[in-house]
Amino acid sequence: MTALLQILFDALSLGSLYALGALGIALIFGVMRLVNFAHGDYIAFCVFALLWPSIDAAAIVFAGNLPTIILIPLILAIGAGLSVLSEILVFRRFRNANPATMMIASFALGYVLKNFLLMLFSSRPKSIDLWSNLSQQVEIAGARIPLLQVITITITIVILIALTAFLKRTRFGLEMRAAAENFTMARMLGVKANRVIMLAFAISGMLAAAIGLILATQTGTVDIQMGMSVMLVAFIATVIGGLGSLPGAVIAGFLIGGASVLMQVILPLEARPFRDAFVYGAVIACLIWRPQGLFAPKSAKQRV
Amino acid sequence: MAQRSSLLARTISTLIILILILVAIAVVTKLAGSRPFERTVVEMFIRVMLVVGIYIFVGNSGVISFGHMGFMCIGAYAAAWFTIPAVMKQVSLPGLPNFLINTQLPIFLSAFLAGLLAALFALIVGRILMRLSGIAASIATFAMLAVINVVYSNWDSVTGGTGSIVGIPFYTGIWTALGGAILVVIIAYLYQISRSGLALRAGRDEATAAAASGVNIVRERLIAFVISAFVIGVAGALYGHFLGVVNPDAFYLSVTFITLSMLVVGGMNSLSGAVMGVIVISAIIQLLRWLEKGVDLGGTTLAIPNGLQEITIGLVMIIILMFRPSGLTRNREITWRLKGAGKPSE
Amino acid sequence: MTLLSVDNITVRYGRLTALRGVSLKIEDGETIFVTGPNGAGKSTLLKAIAGVVPAAEGAIMLRGQVITGATPESTARLGFSMVPEGRHVFGALTIEENLMLGAGMRKDRARVGDDLSQVYDVFPMLKERKDKPAGVLSGGQQQMLVIGRALMTAPRLIAIDEPSLGLAPKVIDQVYETLLKLRDSRGLTLLIVEQSSTRAMMTGGRMILLRSGQVVLEGDARTLARGDTLKKAYFGYGEH
Repeated sequence: MTALLQILFDALSLGSLYALGALGIALIFGVMRLVNFAHGDYIAFCVFALLWPSIDAAAIVFAGNLPTIILIPLILAIGAGLSVLSEILVFRRFRNANPATMMIASFALGYVLKNFLLMLFSSRPKSIDLWSNLSQQVEIAGARIPLLQVITITITIVILIALTAFLKRTRFGLEMRAAAENFTMARMLGVKANRVIMLAFAISGMLAAAIGLILATQTGTVDIQMGMSVMLVAFIATVIGGLGSLPGAVIAGFLIGGASVLMQVILPLEARPFRDAFVYGAVIACLIWRPQGLFAPKSAKQRV
Repeated sequence: MAQRSSLLARTISTLIILILILVAIAVVTKLAGSRPFERTVVEMFIRVMLVVGIYIFVGNSGVISFGHMGFMCIGAYAAAWFTIPAVMKQVSLPGLPNFLINTQLPIFLSAFLAGLLAALFALIVGRILMRLSGIAASIATFAMLAVINVVYSNWDSVTGGTGSIVGIPFYTGIWTALGGAILVVIIAYLYQISRSGLALRAGRDEATAAAASGVNIVRERLIAFVISAFVIGVAGALYGHFLGVVNPDAFYLSVTFITLSMLVVGGMNSLSGAVMGVIVISAIIQLLRWLEKGVDLGGTTLAIPNGLQEITIGLVMIIILMFRPSGLTRNREITWRLKGAGKPSE
Repeated sequence: MTLLSVDNITVRYGRLTALRGVSLKIEDGETIFVTGPNGAGKSTLLKAIAGVVPAAEGAIMLRGQVITGATPESTARLGFSMVPEGRHVFGALTIEENLMLGAGMRKDRARVGDDLSQVYDVFPMLKERKDKPAGVLSGGQQQMLVIGRALMTAPRLIAIDEPSLGLAPKVIDQVYETLLKLRDSRGLTLLIVEQSSTRAMMTGGRMILLRSGQVVLEGDARTLARGDTLKKAYFGYGEH
């Protein structure tokens, strides 16, 4: 029972990261059919924003020393700003381009961001002490669970509820959902394209910042590559969930997180190093089974 | 048959021009006589093989594949298995079956077999994956790449794990690489004017109409997938013989992205686009590397800061795509009359 | 007063020319039918006015303002409400959300509630299911919804592309009845695209016949219906 609880928390906290990532990618895909490969670099950028530029091995914490109450909004704002800026400077000019061109443009942008960080900070991972008091454990029903996991899951749930409320209850949210389903029709009803797209980028950037903060706290390191793996899984989750479906992306994120943790537990010892091969194999099986995604909205079928 | 030969007559100039460009680059490089520059050009020819290999599938089918560098991985490791001396294999790759440990094949035979192995793998996996279209197919090919990477990174006794396998005979020089690049361009050309290639392109542009006229898209895709896997497997083998070492991460994300970028920047629906994408991007990278080292200008050395090279290449790609969303060649082929190249029409 | 004037516009899709030099004027309160065979450019005409496809040449003016090259949202804000072919309800949004989406750009917030209840009066079926996702509606009901949604934008001009496509004859009658009622009660201007001219003759109004991207005939629907000029023009007889 306690072991089961531990597995559950492992799965939920890993799934949380994937779900937040998938949401960030799905939001932008929904409104402009862009698979944003720069998303992982937004995550890294937000984490590096905690530091003062230096190529030394030791991290010089700068913004990271601010009180939490200022720090979190600041990093979220940086994520949103970076994301919106990339839409204004780059993606806006690709609105009518084909998906492959947009995808490569986003990859090139990510490459630029990555190498910009590399220039300022060097490629060596640095250790950072961010809210390290959260690494203690708490006891839940007899199981010892890292406090950070509990917080990660809680934050994710709060973000999901807040975002749902935003999408369901506000005018902007209504416009975003409509735009995600049929952008041209939404525009013909007076929904302003630029505003909706910029809003999607802003929220996506904030989600990237949130992931960055969680990752930095969990691992205690800052690394250029740190957003990459989350982004790739998130990208997969977006497709498995059904492109254009935000709840689908979130659920698929949790599913992949759960599958990874579960395989780690149930695979025989000698097969464990190959865990990810099984996870990706499951992804392929899933795509063959439901090519349009597990939770594809009916209207999205013919478009992909 | 008559139609095929008239198609050949109309399009053969593209093939000849592309080959001449490649040969010219090799000759100029030899004349320049700089060893490091020659290595850069060898690497570029291997990239031509890779990008044209991807093009055979992506360009003709319209399905973006993230998985093709997996075939490069398979090819490179196969070349290592076939050509590293037995004594070294016994130590570094003890898990290999005995017959593999004890054989050491000539390099060309080994490269051919490496390509066949990649093609066989593509045939098996492709039977499942080719049923998918659009972004689902792209993700599935990426998952395939990830599976290959995980397996080759962890099957220590056969692949040496994440460490590098050393001891692959050095062989690939500029003429071998040039030969490989020309061969691949010819294969790509022959495929795209073949019945299967034409059918696949028809399916790419007009899926419904092609299906109505009896084109079996899944089958044609599979053919393209297998041919491109073969080509890239051979390229992987030649790459192994160029570096002398292989390790799984050399065949993962960064090479996937750089090759796809070259294809899209060049123009992903034309063979000329695939070749020109590699040449132009490689040329810009080389130019920036020189600038990074410093240019002597009347006594003062002007150099751009380290790291700016990568940033600049990324920006250049974005700018090219902004002004030419369908690539430098606008998805057209270069021909004698230069119909496709310069004329700004739309 | 001229509400909309289309002046000599040409629209191209790549090498294909969909409209060549099309002109038309719509007066306030008019009902105008655009008919013509498949591929005549009827839908393209509406899309060009809506700003969804760009006009390569020519100019479009709505309520005295040039809207050539304007975005779809700014054209909509000038009072042009488009109901494209295939209806395009937002299937994942509820029926009421679909309706309210159309009201988002309005300045006269106070009247939105009145309009909503009026739409519900006209289409009681929508009110019954207002919290259901619009995807569950049948074709005819979706057509009602998109007309209702267009009304919620408080338009001056509603353009409808093939309102009868895929609907049963009885439902088509119902759709037209509602449209005409709304036109009279609200002083709306209607621009209706139909492939067949029968409906135009029954309803009355002005009719424009498009063929191969050009206006080939224009006049009063009922007058045109009497002779066989219409049929000739439609099929292109007597030109060779």
